[in-house]
Amino acid sequence: MGAAAALGGLAAVPVVGRLFRLGSANAAPSKAQDIQILQVVMQLEFAQVAFYERALREAGLKGDLREFAQTSLGHEREHLSAIRGALGAKTVARPKMEFGAKTKSPNAFIAAATELEDLAVAGYNGQATNLTKHTLAAAAEIVSVEARHAAWVRAIAGEVAAPDPVDKPITAQEFAQGLRQFGVKS
Amino acid sequence: MTMDPFERFDEFLAEADSDGALRETRSRAEARMSRVGLLGLGISGAGALLFARTPAARAAALPAGDVDILNYALVLEYLQASFYTEAERSGALTGKTAQAARVVGATERAHVKAFLELLGSKAVKRPTFNFQGVTEAQRPFLKTAVGFEDLAVAAYKGQATKLQSNAVLAAAVGIHSVEARHAAWMRELFGITPAVKAFDPAASRSQINRIVSRTHFIVAKPKMKVRRKPKFTG
Repeated sequence: MGAAAALGGLAAVPVVGRLFRLGSANAAPSKAQDIQILQVVMQLEFAQVAFYERALREAGLKGDLREFAQTSLGHEREHLSAIRGALGAKTVARPKMEFGAKTKSPNAFIAAATELEDLAVAGYNGQATNLTKHTLAAAAEIVSVEARHAAWVRAIAGEVAAPDPVDKPITAQEFAQGLRQFGVKS
Repeated sequence: MTMDPFERFDEFLAEADSDGALRETRSRAEARMSRVGLLGLGISGAGALLFARTPAARAAALPAGDVDILNYALVLEYLQASFYTEAERSGALTGKTAQAARVVGATERAHVKAFLELLGSKAVKRPTFNFQGVTEAQRPFLKTAVGFEDLAVAAYKGQATKLQSNAVLAAAVGIHSVEARHAAWMRELFGITPAVKAFDPAASRSQINRIVSRTHFIVAKPKMKVRRKPKFTG
């Protein structure tokens, strides 16, 4: 739990903005900005936990796919708990989520899990230069696990598991938008 | 043949002379890489300097500490690129493993090329490798690939917080996560869990150097004048 411990070192700083403000969160790294970023990241981790929980109940996952979903769910729960600990009083509420058909069949699950894990990688990567070094070190321990999940589910599906030579980052605004498109309602 | 690979590995990193020669097959990954651009990852301002037209100007714009870290990463990328290239050429790989080796090898070669372009005359040269036969059979290949990729993930992570240039950091994290994808892919093919823990730990340079030295894969410091492809071990 190195990342959890590292994240726990964040001091509570008043939050100036919410998600919409983060689109321009590219000022010099600060603890206040870390908190804003972690609040978006927390939404992602909420979404991942809920997505895998629901898929394990509804998607009829078997064999390798079920093992993937169970293992990933465990990881996402640990990520969520680490981020909750880091944010302390600044945690965001669990958003409402609507995943539609994404958790209703193995094939839909594969496509959606790939999309969500890729979104996580791009979202974390996009914030690397906006985070303080302290929080970056913790986020780096998480992002590569999300990348492993993305490759794992692709490999199970028989797809090219690492299609690009470099992962393209997205902005915080694109990250939040990606979450909304995936079914995160707030 | 090898006396002290650990010492040599550090020598490679200190080696600052290079003509930047790289004769790798131009691949799809390379083409994609140059389209994306290692530093064209949505970073402006601080990164703008790095788009200078000549390699010398680009390298001069990099903080010295970043050059050092990039050269360290370059040695790891050389190691991986040579490993996959040799495995591909050995003809020992089949099926999904052969396909993965092609894709991952092309990516590692693209990383090498991108680092060479970025570092210009400050790039270290390619060491001579001897993969001790592990590229000549599927199981040893996969086992080594898992080791290399997990190592690369830990190595990039260990340096991320030390980089000064935001442009270099943005590029490095984009490569870091690709190495994690490779690690998971190779693990899946080898038949072990692709993602063991919720948090992937970082490794320091000395930890990485110790591990690499134990493999005895790096057998000689780079030749100053001779340009050649990675040697076969068979």
